Amino acid sequence: MQTEFFTHLRCRECGRPYPPEAIHVCEWDFGPLEAVYDYEAIRRQISRKRIESRAPTMWRYREFLPLEGEPTVGTQVGFTPLIRAERLAKALGVREAYVKNDTVNYPTLSFKDRVVAVSLSRAKEMGFTVVACASTGNLANSVAANAASVGLESYVLIPADLEASKVLGSLVYGTRVVGIRGPYDKVNRLCSEIAGKYQWAFVNVNLRPYYAEGSKTMGFEIAEQLGWRLPAHTVIPMASGSLLTKIAKSYQEMIDTDLVEKTPFAIHGAQATGCNPISDAFQKGTELVRPVSKPQTIAKSLAIGTPADGYYAIQTIRKSGGAAEDASDEEILEGIRLLAETTGIFAETAGGVTVACARKLIASGKIPREGSVVLCVTGHGLKTAEVLAGVLGSPRVIEPSLREFDRLVSSDLAETPIPEGPGA
Amino acid sequence: MTSVAQEKQRFWLTFGEELCQRPIICELARSFALTFNIRSAQVTQRTGLVAIELEGEREVLKQAIQWLEKQGVTVEPVELSTIEG
Ligand SMILES: Cc1ncc(COP(=O)(O)O)c(C=O)c1O
Ligand SMILES: [Zn+2]
Repeated sequence: MQTEFFTHLRCRECGRPYPPEAIHVCEWDFGPLEAVYDYEAIRRQISRKRIESRAPTMWRYREFLPLEGEPTVGTQVGFTPLIRAERLAKALGVREAYVKNDTVNYPTLSFKDRVVAVSLSRAKEMGFTVVACASTGNLANSVAANAASVGLESYVLIPADLEASKVLGSLVYGTRVVGIRGPYDKVNRLCSEIAGKYQWAFVNVNLRPYYAEGSKTMGFEIAEQLGWRLPAHTVIPMASGSLLTKIAKSYQEMIDTDLVEKTPFAIHGAQATGCNPISDAFQKGTELVRPVSKPQTIAKSLAIGTPADGYYAIQTIRKSGGAAEDASDEEILEGIRLLAETTGIFAETAGGVTVACARKLIASGKIPREGSVVLCVTGHGLKTAEVLAGVLGSPRVIEPSLREFDRLVSSDLAETPIPEGPGA
Repeated sequence: MTSVAQEKQRFWLTFGEELCQRPIICELARSFALTFNIRSAQVTQRTGLVAIELEGEREVLKQAIQWLEKQGVTVEPVELSTIEG
């Protein structure tokens, strides 16, 4: 049985081939490098049945991931639930809606565990002993936890003014957290210099071609969980734009290897209005992404002002017949609440962005009302709980008296009659 | 003999409408002791995007970037954002 399907890296711009090393841009034109596979060999090797017989993790799509051997980090990651959300669909005004629920991804409750599982497995294959990233939250948590799980040493670089709760979520794993003072663009520049200078596995810099491929597994899972078919519409939150381009790539790979039938799939992108370089460029009809120098949004996990894959995200959206939207902070909070109240899923701000943008795309007809849509919800609400402070009200407090409780319930009943239970 | 270490850095430069007509790179070349290598360039009437490799002493590189930014050019390392969410 063949076990190697990943062959080399290739420049997305000029197509020049590169060896599968810790490199991420083309020497020639600085184009991003991407993993290349032998799809013909994959097609011969896999089938729906074969995949279904494997453990319910992201590694059931192993052939489409850029490793040489078996994965060694994050072996339990992925295969999160895809739920049919009837009440959410009704509220959004669409016939059918599904939620891909990566708020319960293992171990750090966001889709980043997928990309980190691939990049750290690859880092180990290449012999790295120190792994690193620069992050404001989810990525840092995931690198710290997954590195700890296999005894890799890790460095996590963060802007010095990050909230304490975010920092805790990395510190607890014993990682080396370094806060860097200064404005965001300066921190960013230093991090790219550090990545260039130290021989570490920087998951989203020199290991980016491997890292990014991990996002495809979210798309594979969606199609398999829909009964081996592609969703007609998928709404995806965008920071760098990588997740969006990779979900589109996963759908195409499934077509190319005969796992699903070739049916049209529109890819829609979602951003926060306070940092919307990709959706703004899309709406203006250009492919030149204008950097946002001072992102201002509660959706901090999506606040990348200079998105590395912005150009490709726009191309993917256009080519697939999708659209891009953005949502204000108020709409994001409404989105979080709507999702929670209709599906029982508590998402972080990025999930609020997805829901709010889906609603707008449906209202404007970009997603047809009689259609079916999958919403990618990528991180857990407890990670950004502070944004809801003062939004939800507080519990009503009573004396320990049954009479007071009765009074409270009867005033509730006056508002909304509760259907009578069996004992009533 | 002491020689100062040479460094090579790679950037994306973005020019707005106001700057597209000005020979910025030429001015940069005259003012700083750096070697240039332009790897790709896309210029429309309203914006310009240039991939450039600069090589020289670390301090000179720093000054050159500061100068570019003062002229209104956006200077980004080719990694673009390394800080993610
Ligand atoms: C929760 C969450 N969703 C979505 C994204 C978007 O990722 P990408 O940079 O691949 O567009 C991020 C990235 O940080 C994230 O943290
Ligand atoms: Zn190239």
